[in-house]
Amino acid sequence: MAWFTDRHCFLLAVLIYGLSTVYAVFLWRKGFRRDDWANYFLLATGVALHTLAMFKRGLTLHSCPVNNLYEATTFLLWALGLAALVYALLPKFKFICAYAAPVLFTVGVFALMPSLDPHGPKPEFSGALRSIHAATILQAYGAFGLAAVAAVMFLGQQHDLKAHKLRALLSFLPSMQRLELITTRLVAVGFLLLTVGLTAGAWLPRKDGVPYLADPKVIWSALLWLVYLEALVAHRFFGRSPRRFAAVVIATFLFLLLTFWFTNLLSPLHHP
Amino acid sequence: MSVIVLGLSHRSAPVELRERFAFAESKIPTALQELRESGLVTEGVVLSTCNRVEIYAVTALAPDDQFFARFKNFLIAHHAYDGALGDELYTFAEPHSLQHLFKVAAGLDSMVIGETEIFGQLKKAYDLAFSHKFTGARLNKAFQRAFNVAKFIRTETNIQRGSVSVMSAAVELAEKIFSSLADHEVLVIGAGETSEKTARALQSRGVKKITVTNRSPERAAALAAELGTGTTTVPFAQWPEAFEHIDIAVSSTAATTHILNRATLEPLMKRRHHRPLLLIDIAVPRDIDPAVSELDNVYLYNVDDLKAIADEYLKLRHKELDHCHRIIAEKVAALLAANKFSTTDKHR
Repeated sequence: MAWFTDRHCFLLAVLIYGLSTVYAVFLWRKGFRRDDWANYFLLATGVALHTLAMFKRGLTLHSCPVNNLYEATTFLLWALGLAALVYALLPKFKFICAYAAPVLFTVGVFALMPSLDPHGPKPEFSGALRSIHAATILQAYGAFGLAAVAAVMFLGQQHDLKAHKLRALLSFLPSMQRLELITTRLVAVGFLLLTVGLTAGAWLPRKDGVPYLADPKVIWSALLWLVYLEALVAHRFFGRSPRRFAAVVIATFLFLLLTFWFTNLLSPLHHP
Repeated sequence: MSVIVLGLSHRSAPVELRERFAFAESKIPTALQELRESGLVTEGVVLSTCNRVEIYAVTALAPDDQFFARFKNFLIAHHAYDGALGDELYTFAEPHSLQHLFKVAAGLDSMVIGETEIFGQLKKAYDLAFSHKFTGARLNKAFQRAFNVAKFIRTETNIQRGSVSVMSAAVELAEKIFSSLADHEVLVIGAGETSEKTARALQSRGVKKITVTNRSPERAAALAAELGTGTTTVPFAQWPEAFEHIDIAVSSTAATTHILNRATLEPLMKRRHHRPLLLIDIAVPRDIDPAVSELDNVYLYNVDDLKAIADEYLKLRHKELDHCHRIIAEKVAALLAANKFSTTDKHR
């Protein structure tokens, strides 16, 4: 089975995320009317294969697989998928899997691009602090991703309730208040992890001649940290409406997804 | 031996006739004893509700037209009915008798399709006959299976899904917005009957705190007393101030103009930090300006919206009927095959 690499394993996981996405479309067309375990098990199978892929890569590297863009992306998706499976166990939250599947599938397909993993399993760095730095930040992105998924559910439900659509009542989805609470908590958890990850990064030894504070990835991360902080504070203490909060959470995660690879490539610190 | 049914229901007879054939619960054992002594049946259950009067029985005789004529005569004589009768009384022999029993148990033959009250009434009727030893192996099996099939239909289909009344639709909406109604306060504006029913429906789902306001403070106090503990009143001139701590408002005043508009609500929403607010306007003419629904986190439903929800649910239940009938046909066929029941045609 030597030919069966961690990338094959991840490819299988992405295919299952794809199946889950197709199934999610059917569930959506039916208005999420019945409690459904099928999509949960599909996603769980995908996450299991995804975990195996990361485990195999980790064994090869003898460290946490967060060395290059492929590994970082798979780690982010894994955190998102695992969190979705956990949250789906809450009452009426099973359909979070249907909302998460398209994100896992599309970003998973992107992660499979060979240019993101040019040298295969190759340790680019070592040390526990570096692993903590990378892993916690990627977990934070996973939490932000799931928060965006919950925010999409929130906005959809709000639109249907405002427009007096019967599907708002027929759907087996959580209440608006619960969706708002979960979104806020996920953003708070993500923010905490991001703070820990960035703090760990600030303590890492620096290379001579490579600017730190002017590094695009450092600026980008600080900006992200500030945006999430502002979103939390404005929502919690200044009465920003849940709709606007949800919109900010979705927009920020989209920004994160679209610029994550780009800023990594631009950063001399992260892409020497 | 076969299961037979004789009865009349809201589908076949007006209430004037149904009440003439109704059985008082205390008289049912005597009626069943008489029925058994008539030699027509060996087992029997009498179901008597406001919408139907039915006798489910087991007979050793051939359930033909002659038999059903005698059975009808027994019922007519028992109630000393001397009026004219057309098709109001219906009779069923197997397999239709069993299908009818299963449909009744699942609420498919009820006035509001899918309602669950009939299940409890049927169970009570069966328990009464069982405790007086008027049921035997065949009827016991038929009723047990009917209860199981009713539960199966309830869980496997959408026949009991959703709210089919305006009040329950309002409660369902509240539950889609708020996690737990127990933590949210309700303001009832207007102390009419509809307000009371809606407030009671909300109370039944966990609402603990209700504030009542009305132009007549006496009527507000009377409604607050009716609704019981956890209910307070507020003078009508001061009800906008209550918006800071309430999350659901039910309005049904006799006002001829809007009592709540966007200009009034906008600053109130700021003061309540844009927490979600459900406004249920069941007044005609409407109490709340529809423009308030443009505000963020304000959900406004008027009586037509709620009626539309209830009607849609009813339509969905009707759509589920075919599915339910197929399930019942399969289950009855399985029961008959298992017990080698004889089959005869329906008699009317």
